[in-house]
Amino acid sequence: MLIDATHRKWFGGCALGLALATSVYVPYSLHAPQGPKGSSSLGLVYGSVGFAFMLFVGVLGLRKKFPVWRVGRASWWMRGHLWFGFLSFPLILFHGGFHFGGPLTRTLMWLFIFVFISGLLGAALQHFIPRIHTAQLPMETIYEQIDRVRVQLATEARQLVDETCGALEGEVSRSSERQRAAAAGAGVTANLTILFGLQIGDQASNELRQFLENEIQPYLDRAGTRASRLGNPAQARAMFQQVRVLLPPTLHPNIDDLENVCEEKRQLDQQSQLHKVLHGWLLVHVPLSYALLLLGAWHAVVALKF
Amino acid sequence: MSSNATASIQLTIDGTPVSVPAGTTIFDAARLNGIPIPTLCHQQNENPVGVCRVCVVDIGQRVYAASCIRQAEAGMTVKTSTEPVLAARHTLVELLMSEHPSPCARQQHSGDCELEQLAAAAGIEQSRFPQRAAPRGKDDSSAVIAVDHEACILCDRCIRGCDDIRDNWVLARRGKGYQAGISFDNNLPMGESSCVSCGECMVSCPTGALTTKRVVGTELGRGEVLDPAELLHLPIFENVSGTFLELNQKAVVKRRFRAGEVICREGEFGSTAFYILEGTAEVFLSSPIAHVKTEGSSHGFFSRLKSMLAPRDEHARSEESARPFIPIDASVDLPYDNPIAQLNPGDLFGEMTCMSYYPRSATVRAQTDCVMLEMLRNVLDILQRNKTFRAQLERNYRQRALDSHLRGVPVFATLTPDFIGHLRDRVELVRFNPGQVICRQGEVADSFYLVRIGFVKVSEERPGGDLVLAYLARGGYFGEIALLTGSPRTATCTALDHVEVVRIAGEDFRLMLDRFPEVRHSLETIAHERLDANRLRATQVQNVPIDQFLANGLMEAQSLLVLDLDRCTRCDQCVRACADAHDGVSRLVREGVRFDKYLVATSCRQCRDPLCMVGCPVGSIRRRNSLEVIIEDWCIGCGLCASNCPYGNINLHPFPVELDDPVMPGRKIASTRVKATSCDLCHDHEEPSCVYACPHDAAHRVNPPEFFAGVLKQSNPLKSNPPKR
Repeated sequence: MLIDATHRKWFGGCALGLALATSVYVPYSLHAPQGPKGSSSLGLVYGSVGFAFMLFVGVLGLRKKFPVWRVGRASWWMRGHLWFGFLSFPLILFHGGFHFGGPLTRTLMWLFIFVFISGLLGAALQHFIPRIHTAQLPMETIYEQIDRVRVQLATEARQLVDETCGALEGEVSRSSERQRAAAAGAGVTANLTILFGLQIGDQASNELRQFLENEIQPYLDRAGTRASRLGNPAQARAMFQQVRVLLPPTLHPNIDDLENVCEEKRQLDQQSQLHKVLHGWLLVHVPLSYALLLLGAWHAVVALKF
Repeated sequence: MSSNATASIQLTIDGTPVSVPAGTTIFDAARLNGIPIPTLCHQQNENPVGVCRVCVVDIGQRVYAASCIRQAEAGMTVKTSTEPVLAARHTLVELLMSEHPSPCARQQHSGDCELEQLAAAAGIEQSRFPQRAAPRGKDDSSAVIAVDHEACILCDRCIRGCDDIRDNWVLARRGKGYQAGISFDNNLPMGESSCVSCGECMVSCPTGALTTKRVVGTELGRGEVLDPAELLHLPIFENVSGTFLELNQKAVVKRRFRAGEVICREGEFGSTAFYILEGTAEVFLSSPIAHVKTEGSSHGFFSRLKSMLAPRDEHARSEESARPFIPIDASVDLPYDNPIAQLNPGDLFGEMTCMSYYPRSATVRAQTDCVMLEMLRNVLDILQRNKTFRAQLERNYRQRALDSHLRGVPVFATLTPDFIGHLRDRVELVRFNPGQVICRQGEVADSFYLVRIGFVKVSEERPGGDLVLAYLARGGYFGEIALLTGSPRTATCTALDHVEVVRIAGEDFRLMLDRFPEVRHSLETIAHERLDANRLRATQVQNVPIDQFLANGLMEAQSLLVLDLDRCTRCDQCVRACADAHDGVSRLVREGVRFDKYLVATSCRQCRDPLCMVGCPVGSIRRRNSLEVIIEDWCIGCGLCASNCPYGNINLHPFPVELDDPVMPGRKIASTRVKATSCDLCHDHEEPSCVYACPHDAAHRVNPPEFFAGVLKQSNPLKSNPPKR
């Protein structure tokens, strides 16, 4: 979620809550005879409030699971997730008096740290990556459709090359009779020039087909950009420029289209990578969060009972 | 007189003395005596005109004579194949070949182009003469005959076939010199002319200038193929060329159906029309007559949305149609309350499917044992242009359908039977081809039109291009504003496909207004609403920087689902929410055009040019005055609107229904029927589910002109344009 001016109220509320919690905690920690403890009244209050925040934060998953439930806009829940999640961390630290305690609480604390850091990382990623996405990937598509679009791009590239080569070969065969006739009546130099021109047409067609087979097709058939020079925008530009030199200007729009096909593939690869980054952190954050909630509940039961 | 007519004369042809009746032409005299003379412009069943001059012969005079028109004289010596005569013919053929696209269509198809055969016989491979500089073009407007003016040698055989043999008087000559050619009516495209498609011109043509269209799939694989002679015995094929019917032989078949057998089903795609020869059939809709209603099943926080079918008397929507009849592709309309009707011998159904390839609009089942003609487009076109058949069709329409057609339009519901009787003999059925203008903006109005078949586009000329005001389907009407106000036409109406309209003359229309003040009142109200809506659109178009929107079609939209891509994490919660709200059928795809950092998601835009409405076989998709799309109860779920929508914004929602068992009458079977749906903005809720469920505050429903005006001013448009329903 983009954290901007619309979060001002949440930020203010959390800052106030943190200030209040800190202002209570400081004198309490200074004057408590045995130092701040989770089992003290105030410690229990911090723990309960912190755990309540954690539970609220955890309910976001449930809220997302049932998107049509009219229990508040999902964006409100997301804001609560971010800010209450953020606030729960100092509260839990206050609850334990900045001590990690025994094996269970130590595990809990480390879990919480991982969850908190992964959450911060996620918030940062959600803040910046969508903008990169928007700015750099104008040709993005739906993530699940990427493989399908790649297949379509490969087909399109082949059609473009066929069309270009067809036009080139047609041009050569149409003009060859006329040019060969002209060559027959021309001087030696002109003759060579005309015949050379015809040969170039054939060659260009072959070169273009080879370019398709050796570079474009393997690049489009595989996900990822590393293996191919076409994955590098600068190199791709240079390669297509070389192809353009071989062809008459009338066929350059086809090469532009071909270059766009490769560019779209490059963007799809990049989108795929960014998508993994943008959503991959959840693979850490979500299971750890559930583990944290379960262990937290276990800790609460054990602590209160024994 | 009699003795003169039978008197014989003696002459010599190529050294052979021959005797022929007086008045015989040299050409016929030679032919009767087995001496062939080549010709192009002459054929036995037509009067000779001697325009091609290929049949020239030497009769010992200063110039060669055209044997087809020159009468034989007693003692005449005719030489048909001397060296100079052959040279003259050779030159003539060479001259004709210089302008002939060789091989022409006829030569390519059947190898019997008479000119090319003559050229081949004369050993002419390439003409010495230059080709025509200015091309004369082709005319592809007819459904059955292809016209290639390039291949025309101006022999006039087609003109004589049309005028002298068939007495149709459609074909004539046009232009002079290089511009000379054949013309239909007053130089109209063949398809738009009064041509009756009898095919005589085509069978008369010696070259590929007039050929039968070779359309893929012009043969029906089922049914009993009828001999042209059998077809000609049917009154509906009266005056059609037998040769032409022979060429289209397998495009019309006789089919027999047993009582209870289904002839065609609603929603199926097809390409044929049926004409009932014997027996009766029932036409009905098996889809439930209801629309999709989405509402919360319980109130409160955890309300779930559920989609269900509801007829209009159970759940009325704003501006819901009150039409008592459902328009279908047959000579009758179906009553809304009990959508079933009977078709009798002489009735034609499936015209729109056949001519424009729309899905079948209703299910037709044989009520008794039936015999029908099933035909493809080329044969239907021949029939529709046939005077006898047209007269029969119009008679049927006036007697059986005009009443329900007029009453199907709510504003005419109060017309009395005697006035409909008055109109019955006065209305005119007029056909228009795709793209043909029915009435033009600025013209003086003389008629009111009711759409019977097809779709009419109503557009207004504006600086910078036409603005589409509406698409009208069967039951739609136009032309009332100018007649009511006495002003020129306010819009141009164009046939989008094969359109047939009922034309009510201005004086009858005025008589109707005088006799029925409530009709006048309703029409005036609607005219005001239409004019207001047009004015509103004009304001909207003028007040926004349209060039930037037009490129993406955004200007067409009335409401957009916009995603702020800087906020959107591409989590697809909006799509999931939409699916959740509509029984698992999402009406939203998170893809579409981009404008600045915004993505206009694929969700109904309520376009001002709603292409989805073109082609609905039962005219069940239309829009309210607010431009919002509404799908009427009689949607048959054929899916054409979904495929027509360029933005993929219409979905098909399946519903379980109980249908009559075709095997065991009276028993019901469980089945599924689909209904078209589009974004309903989750009417039962304060906010659309997609917007409500977006955790990143990225999705918003906006009014495009306001929103994009904000974007262009570089302000935050979402601030000044809060999310709208």
